[in-house]
Amino acid sequence: MKIRVAGTGLTKFGELWNKDLLDLALDASNQAINESRLTKNDIDGVFVANMLHGKLTGQDHLGALVASSLGIKGASFRIEGACASGGMAVHLAIQSLLAGTYQNVLVVGAEKMTDATSSQITSALMGAGGEEERRAGLTFPALYALMAKMHMQKYGTTRKHMALVSVKNHYHASMNEKAQFPFEVTMEKVLESPVISSPFTLFDASPITDGAGAIVLSTDNGQPGVFITGSGVATDTVDLASRKSLTEIVATKEASGKALKQAGVEIKDIKVAEVHDCFTIAEILAMEDLGFCKKGEGGEFVQKGHTRLGGNIPVNTSGGLKACGHPVAATGVKQIIEVTHQLQKRAGKRQVQGANIGLTHNVGGSGATVVVHILQT
Amino acid sequence: MSSPVQIWRLHKNLHNYLNKVGRLVVWTKIFVAPEGFEHQTPYLVGIMQFDNQRLPLQIVNCEEKDLKVNMKVITVIRKIGKAKSEDVIEYGLKVKPL
Amino acid sequence: MIGIVSYGAYIPKYRIKPSQIAQTWGKEVKEIEKSLGVYEKAVASYDEDAITLSIEAANRAISTGGIDPTQIGGITIGSESHPYAVKPSSTVVAEILGMGNDYLAADLEFACKAGTAGIQLLSGLISQGKTKLVLAIGSDVAQSKPADVLEYTASSAAAAFVLGKANTIANIIDFTSYSSDTPDFWRKDSEKFPSHAGRFTGSPAYFSHVLGASEKMLKQVKMKPQDFDYVVFHMPNAKFPKEAAKKLGFSPKQLIPGFVVEYIGNPYSASSMIGLAATLDVAKAGDKIFMCSYGSGAGSDAFVFEVTPEIKTHQKRNTETVAKQIRNKSYIDYSLIAKNILTKYKI
Repeated sequence: MKIRVAGTGLTKFGELWNKDLLDLALDASNQAINESRLTKNDIDGVFVANMLHGKLTGQDHLGALVASSLGIKGASFRIEGACASGGMAVHLAIQSLLAGTYQNVLVVGAEKMTDATSSQITSALMGAGGEEERRAGLTFPALYALMAKMHMQKYGTTRKHMALVSVKNHYHASMNEKAQFPFEVTMEKVLESPVISSPFTLFDASPITDGAGAIVLSTDNGQPGVFITGSGVATDTVDLASRKSLTEIVATKEASGKALKQAGVEIKDIKVAEVHDCFTIAEILAMEDLGFCKKGEGGEFVQKGHTRLGGNIPVNTSGGLKACGHPVAATGVKQIIEVTHQLQKRAGKRQVQGANIGLTHNVGGSGATVVVHILQT
Repeated sequence: MSSPVQIWRLHKNLHNYLNKVGRLVVWTKIFVAPEGFEHQTPYLVGIMQFDNQRLPLQIVNCEEKDLKVNMKVITVIRKIGKAKSEDVIEYGLKVKPL
Repeated sequence: MIGIVSYGAYIPKYRIKPSQIAQTWGKEVKEIEKSLGVYEKAVASYDEDAITLSIEAANRAISTGGIDPTQIGGITIGSESHPYAVKPSSTVVAEILGMGNDYLAADLEFACKAGTAGIQLLSGLISQGKTKLVLAIGSDVAQSKPADVLEYTASSAAAAFVLGKANTIANIIDFTSYSSDTPDFWRKDSEKFPSHAGRFTGSPAYFSHVLGASEKMLKQVKMKPQDFDYVVFHMPNAKFPKEAAKKLGFSPKQLIPGFVVEYIGNPYSASSMIGLAATLDVAKAGDKIFMCSYGSGAGSDAFVFEVTPEIKTHQKRNTETVAKQIRNKSYIDYSLIAKNILTKYKI
């Protein structure tokens, strides 16, 4: 499979008081369409990824809203898979190209979170989990905190290991002008911030963010460029308690297995990766479940510096969800954009030398949906 | 929270869960609550292992220092969340240390 | 003979001392427990209410008695803190206990004697042959105006009694009731907290009805106070029941097992019923128990019970005696009480 990333567009991520969802979606989309050198009439389909907008504002029907606002009359869709909405939209857009139905499609992930209160957002995000979890008052931080505690009990992972993820991602974000928090933080800051759900502090968690990311995907035309060569999706139970294991996200293994096979590469071939660090433990789990290191050794893997810029396999050079920000449905698309820019050698100070194969890893809920993409030049 | 009809369905099933003894697998203490739970912070939630299933439940009647991995817990019926003025009150399962 | 087949009591584990409450309101703290005769009271958690307390107590009665809940044909819950003004607590409890659909349910209100009124009313269903088992519950998360003197003693608890004809652990020899329209303590539907008429709650209210019902009861069964092993009165504080006992001719010793107010306070509709449960926890076959409840508004329900040899089975199986629950406590400060008030009144 060879799907061309024809254009990319990304808004700043952060508290964007003056922009509403449509502003963000249009901004990113126009950037992507311009970069692709295509016209609006060339775009056959618009795939809009969004999780919260209907719940928070009452506005549904986002496929039609975004497409028509762009002046595009082709097919339009809204896709939701909790925090994996973005990756899921990319996967479905790819399928539409592979089917031959469409030739050029726009995927835009957008989320407007700062118009709501923090409490409303905490509640709204719980929609990614199960009903029993909501009844028990299990917030998203709490769900991942449970996985973190199990991981700490079983493998000796420490709060410091997890804090290192946050420190590293902030370091990367300090070189990304689109990031919500483009500044470094110290280990002490992470460890001593207010506890939100033990053992997580504020700095173990990704923030509430506004933002949008868009890409134009086309069928291969023989020109050089960056291509998506693998796209895998896997599913597990929505609620954490029903999973076989509380210390691994099995869907990650399955989705990445499918994507790597499709691309014809192995995990050791990956030179740069954007993984789903909604909470620090999630990145440690991703290192293990994707196969960058052995199960249980994720903490040490991060501690050794392998995933920092300059290390063997830089992870989350964008700053990840933690420091770049996590406008829920935009994240999956942003991940594709970051890896694309790395492969196009336009990552500036964050450039990973010689990056020619990259991976993106996007998770919905506490691991119920996982989408993995492989990109190559 | 839930609608009256959803609560009606949920209450019908509760008697099957009375007096169930399970074990505490893992817990966390939540300081930042979602809507309807603000009055409870900080509160303890965890995953309990019962004979044939695992359930996510709030842990009541104790302090965090009383908790130990694998300790026995028993189900209790308590109010779930905080009903708004016009709402029907939702009752449901929680656990307390045995 | 109709009697008690099983019972259960539930006392929440949190406790607060009157001196802590006094301190919160900047009132005189010294010797307050001694003058009240109440050392601490039970406080329900923010997620408990009269319904959840009822479920706990009734669940214990059903478990200890090995009773099939679908066989219970009548249920009453007496409370001053029913969560709904319209929507019976008794059906919520019945559903969660798994009672099915074949039962009569009614919520009762008569201040602190709503629970015992249920015992008298439901026993009628049994004597009519309408059903073999009934469940009478007294449950309260007692309300009092913050900073009012009632706050020192108003507490939370529930007691549940299953009545029937077969395998009784204590028979109801007889009962009676004495009522009048007496405005000593009241709360209109629109009000958050109850009001009371100060010293009027004593002689013309509590004593007039307790003594009225008790004297009538003793006459009816042709017995004297000395014929009884134990006596239980409604306990709004430590003084009134002791005085009532003295006036009627009961000895202080007879009061002892049922005298729960010192360590749990006054859980309104559950007060005398918890006292009865505590007494049954230690009673022996053949013991005779005299009980008289009191509810403001006002009225008193009096009962004469005789314990049967079956009591031993219940005592063996009962894992949650009143004494054990009184011991199993955890002290809190006023913050839980403040949280409960804010939660309840949606502030």
